[in-house]
Amino acid sequence: MDGQLIRAAAVAATLAIAPTGTMAHQLVVFASVDCQVVTVEAKFSNGRVAQAGDVRVLDGENTLLMTLELGEDGTAVVPLDSVDHSGGLVIEVDTGGHDNYWIVTPDDITRNCGS
Amino acid sequence: MKQYLVTASFAALMAATPALAHYGMIIPNDPMISQEDGRSVDLTMSFSHPFELDGMMLDKPAAFSVTHEGNTTDLLGGLQDATVMEDQGYTLEYRLDRPGTYVFAMEPKPYWEPAEDAFIIHYTKTYVTAYGDDEGWDTELGLKTEVVPLTKPFGLWEHNVFQGIIKMDGEPVPYAEVEVEYYNEDLSATVPDELMITQTVKADADGVFTYAPPSSGWWGFAALNTADYTILEEGSGEEKAVELGAVIWVHFEEWTGN
Repeated sequence: MDGQLIRAAAVAATLAIAPTGTMAHQLVVFASVDCQVVTVEAKFSNGRVAQAGDVRVLDGENTLLMTLELGEDGTAVVPLDSVDHSGGLVIEVDTGGHDNYWIVTPDDITRNCGS
Repeated sequence: MKQYLVTASFAALMAATPALAHYGMIIPNDPMISQEDGRSVDLTMSFSHPFELDGMMLDKPAAFSVTHEGNTTDLLGGLQDATVMEDQGYTLEYRLDRPGTYVFAMEPKPYWEPAEDAFIIHYTKTYVTAYGDDEGWDTELGLKTEVVPLTKPFGLWEHNVFQGIIKMDGEPVPYAEVEVEYYNEDLSATVPDELMITQTVKADADGVFTYAPPSSGWWGFAALNTADYTILEEGSGEEKAVELGAVIWVHFEEWTGN
């Protein structure tokens, strides 16, 4: 599955679970990757770190691979060797009132790891 | 021959028209880069009359940088030669590694404008946000002169007001004159009078100006002041005045409601 399909699937999934309430500020989710881990970061658009929430890791076909807790510093770490990342990963963060996602594409992993 | 005469007359008229405003330009392919857009932004730099799409020579700038999360990176070496509005400009593809606001800034070399008997230096900025994070949208770079945004300089609807503070050497410039011009990319905008090509507003006593554009698209705001120094013009051997421009480019989005 290429990045385009991952994105389409992720957008569809996100729209399906998006809360309907009005949100004064949004959740910003980002994930960086190196050869060992994916580091997930979540903060609100007002700059405050999201101190708690569920982190769901899905593969490129939208299959749930792992669920983690967001740390008090707004981060979570996913060891790369613990997941099948060949088709990319979708990282969803849900704080209860807010949720968002970041897509780690195969190109992101290749570019930052060189493998 | 008749057509030539008409063309020549029009060219002479345009050349003699003093109303054309010069603008340094930094135009990204998108001021709000989402993760679906990719991982980089494409920038186009020029010096031009943006309403008429009339380009001018932009020498390799004296400085070109990006500031993100308080860190400034020199990008001058990455500029690629390009033809913009049929004249010398530059392009740059810049990778956006993290979320947040990226402030791209250009300090051109002094441009000698014989018609104004002065040099022109436009300190030009454009703000680009990445991956849904607007933190840093009000960043002040500390340039010689700059527009410090009071309104988030992206994600604006057409007709929204844009406000900024004109600063020179870090201090507000009371009643500074600000020229406003539309980047008429497809030449679809026309004017009933050439006076309307460049709109003009003045800042208040605190250096704050306000403008609401009539349409979506890129709008340039240029606060022009005379420098407290001169530059030697080699042709005449005389010291000449320097016009310092604080330029910011802001994109307004088309309203999608009824």
